[in-house]
This record gives sequence, structure tokens and C-alpha cells, in this order.
Amino acid sequence: MIAGPHGRLALGALRYAAMVAVAAALLLPIWWILVSAIRPGGEIFRYASDVGWRTLVPERLTLEHFRTMLAGDMPRAVLNSAIVSLSTVVVGTMVNAAAGFAFAVFDFPLKRTLFAFVLLTFMMPFESIVIPLYTLIRTLDWTNTYAALIVPDLANGLVVFLFRQFFLGIPREIYEAARVDGASWWTIFIRLTMPLSGPTIATAALMQFIHQWDAFFWPLVAASTPELVVVQVAIARNITLEQANWGGLFASASTAILLAMIPFLLLQRYFIRTVTASSDK
Amino acid sequence: MAPFRVSPWIPALFLAPALAGLLVFRLGPILIALVGGFTGTTLRGETTFVGMRNYADLAADPSFWSSVKVTLLFNLLVNPFQICCAMGLALLVLRPTRGVALFRAAYLLPMTVSIALTSVIWTILLEPSVGPVNGVLRALGLPPQPFFRSEDQSLATLILVCTWKGAGYWMIFLLAGLLAIPRELHEAAAIDGAGAWQRFLRITLPLMRRPLAFVLVADTAINFLLFAPVYVITHGGPAGSTALLMFEAYQAAFALLNHGRSLAISTVILAIIGVIAVLELRLFRAAHERAG
Repeated sequence: MIAGPHGRLALGALRYAAMVAVAAALLLPIWWILVSAIRPGGEIFRYASDVGWRTLVPERLTLEHFRTMLAGDMPRAVLNSAIVSLSTVVVGTMVNAAAGFAFAVFDFPLKRTLFAFVLLTFMMPFESIVIPLYTLIRTLDWTNTYAALIVPDLANGLVVFLFRQFFLGIPREIYEAARVDGASWWTIFIRLTMPLSGPTIATAALMQFIHQWDAFFWPLVAASTPELVVVQVAIARNITLEQANWGGLFASASTAILLAMIPFLLLQRYFIRTVTASSDK
Repeated sequence: MAPFRVSPWIPALFLAPALAGLLVFRLGPILIALVGGFTGTTLRGETTFVGMRNYADLAADPSFWSSVKVTLLFNLLVNPFQICCAMGLALLVLRPTRGVALFRAAYLLPMTVSIALTSVIWTILLEPSVGPVNGVLRALGLPPQPFFRSEDQSLATLILVCTWKGAGYWMIFLLAGLLAIPRELHEAAAIDGAGAWQRFLRITLPLMRRPLAFVLVADTAINFLLFAPVYVITHGGPAGSTALLMFEAYQAAFALLNHGRSLAISTVILAIIGVIAVLELRLFRAAHERAG
């Protein structure tokens, strides 16, 4: 079957119609949550049953739900998530980059075995060890501490691998020159290698940040007291315990959605480009 | 780069923090699960060796087998379904015409919503009496549905919610594979008179074997460990229809306070994930050896 110019035009229009329909199915749920957070409490569910243009476009706007949210556990949860995520990123990047540096630059006994071990750890998702990890943390007497949330997530096999791949590309001559000048390996790592690794550091930091920011199962198990509650646990708990406060729930859910989405919208070009890079011609 | 030969102390110091972390917090829990599966807790709170009892109890427990069945059924359905949706999306946005970059990014947005938050917002959207999804169904003249409240619909609803979040993410990996297929292959086949469907079956699918295998294995690892939606939305119900294994392990540890049982279930989960990990490692090695 060979399509004529009219057939091809119709096919193109059909393709755009399908793309729009899929986008609507994927994005309207998020949109509805976001607009519900800024409409008066009485109208949130009214136009969910009485479907019309008002379902998606609020007539009157209010920030009352955000005021409710600020009075609840959400500010503390955002602060805790920020503390946990940022300290994981800062310490984790150093720890994993140092290991990646050793695998890339040095020859040492057991190198292949240790590297295979690193690879295997990142094939085992963190969630698969949550229950026995809890037993370990309880033995260490770390339950309900920041350490329980941060320390187990610092070393990350995938990040070690990413750094090692990047460091392998740095020419040997650079290190030889620095060694002749009498620099120690630690100085070389901090002053020479790391400053050359901006994009890899950014990728690694983003990966560790997202893993911590989105984590739910581990914080729920390891540290869920009000002082240590993180964003994901706080919101999930609000829906299971106090469904009366819908406005506050919509405001906190919207805040969490936007906090994760804005960095993505800023960086999505790079993400899509990194994944499709080698092949997009 | 040819690696430097130095005193072993230097690489040891660079490696120590990361390797210690991986040993203690990755390998440690695996050993704890393996050993702990053979222990029990007495009424006085002492841990004792009980041999195979936890596993024998599991094997004799119909609720454990029902959870295994639900987990297998869920994975047999959700993984192929997500991959078909992701493939459909990738084919839809493959040709780089005007505005397509925007749609590619739009399809990725649900990925930024964490799994816990996904569970929360879909609990509200699918609420049977006041939720907007049933509002839309009513407006279209269709009967409202119970979704997560019905034993018959809960697992299917869970699959749809997971697909809403995951399809765009896997789309990107498949899109990368599709973009790598040389255009000339399709053009030559078209000249030979092969239709679009023929070209998809004979050219696209065979060349997509590796990306499809990667996505299948990675997606299965995630879905085998699914926990948040079960915890937040259904608590395993109605009537155990969504009681995935990870939730069973959680219940054993934190509701029944039976640590031996929870560690035995964890061992079962780890064994399954271990098999998946070995498959993944093979694919990964093959891909990297080919790349250089």
C-alpha cells in the first residue's frame, strides 16, 4: 500500500492527535492536583464529579491550603529531606569518586574481583535489602537518626562505575607531569582530576539526590519519628491518617511535585540528550 | 590509560570508604537475611537458631503462596504491558518533526513524581465516589468503577498506575535504540515493497533485541520490589489481591514482629533479584565489551 500526499497528511495529523491524547492522559492528572491546591476547599471535589471546563481551570484562587500546609509537618519534612539529600550528595560524591579514581588510575591486587563486586552491588536494588538493613541499623542503635538515613546510601556502585569510566579517559601524561612536580596522589585527585570532571560530578550528584529525595520505603522503616520525617513519608502518612484535611494534602503534594519537577524541566534536555546521544543523528 | 603501579596502600586508602560502605550496607544485609532466615525470637526476646522452621512455615502458609502467586501474576502482566506502551510511545515520537521534542519531554514528566507521591495522587484521582476519574466516566455516560476497592480490578488498576509513571522513562531507552537503526535499512526494505508492519517485524524488532532485553530486566527488578503503592493505597487488599511479596516482608517484620519470617521472605526476594542481577550483569558486560 502506497500512501498518496493526502494519505500522508492524514497520517501526520493522526499522529499528532495521538501524541496530544497521550500527553493529556499523562499530564492532566498532575495538572488537576496542582489546580486543586489553589482552589477554595469547597470546590476541589465539586468539579471532579461535575466535569466541565471548571474541572481544569479554577474560577477563584486561594493560598489557604498552603497556609495550612506551613502550619503542619511539611516544612520540617522538606528541611529533613534537604539535609539528608544534600549531605548524601556532598559526601557520597567524594567517597565514590575516590573509589572510581583508584579503579581507573592504579594497578593493585584483587582489582578485578573488587570491581566485579562493585558492579554486582548496583545490580541489587536498594529496596531488596531494606528489611535486613533495618536489622543491621537496629543492632548499631541507629534507628531514628540522620545517620540511618544518610550513611547506608553514601557508597553507590553505579556512581563508582560512572566516575571510573570518566577517569579512564584522562591522559596518563597529565598524572606523570604532576608526579614529576612532586604532587601527592591525594593532591592530584583533588586539584587536578576533580576539577576536570564537572559533567560527571553533576550526573552523579543528580542521581544520588533523586534516589534520596524520592526514597520512601527505607525512611518509613528506619526513621519515621516526627523530628526525622521526610517529604515522601509525611505525605503518604497524611493520606492514610487524616483524610479530613484535603486542602493541606493537595498543597503538600503539589509542593513535592513541583520541587522534583522544576530541576527536571531545567535539566531534561541534557538527560534526553545523554541517553539518546550516541545514536541521534 | 595504562594504570600506575604504586604501593598498595595508596589505592587501599582511596577505595576504603566506598568499599567499606558497600561491604557493610550492601553485602552485610544480604548475609543478615541469609543467616536471620534460620533464626527465631523467643518470648523473652532472645534470638535462637530454628533451622528450616521459618521456611517450613512459609511453605505451609497459604497466604505466602497467595502472595507469591500475586507477585508473579503482577510481573507477568506489568512488565510486558509497560514495555509495549513504552515501545508505542517511542515509535510515536521517533520521527523528529516539529514539536516532537516537547512531547518527548512531556512523556517523561510522570517519572519525576516519586512512587510514594504517585500512590498518593492516584488514591485521590481514583477515589470511587468523589474522584475525577469516575467523574469523567460518568460524564461520558459510562458506569463508575470501584478500581482499588474491588478484588477484581485492584491488580489491573495497580498495573495502570505503575505504567502511568514508568512508560515514559522506558520510552527514552527504547527511543535511543530506535534512533540507532540505520535509516537505509528501512528505505531499502520499502523499495522492495515491504509495508510498515512488515518492516517493524523484520527490521525493527530484531535490531531492538538488546535494548528490549535491558529494559525488561531492569523493569522486572523494579516491579518485583514494588512496595509504596501497596502500602499507601491498598494494604495488600481487597482480599489479598495486591499483596506483593515486598509488602508481605514488611508486614512480617513490622505488623507481626516476626523477624525470622520477614528475613526468610527477604531471602526469597534476594534470591529472585540475584538471578535478575546476574542476567543484568551479563547483558551489561556484553554491551560494554562490544563498545570497547
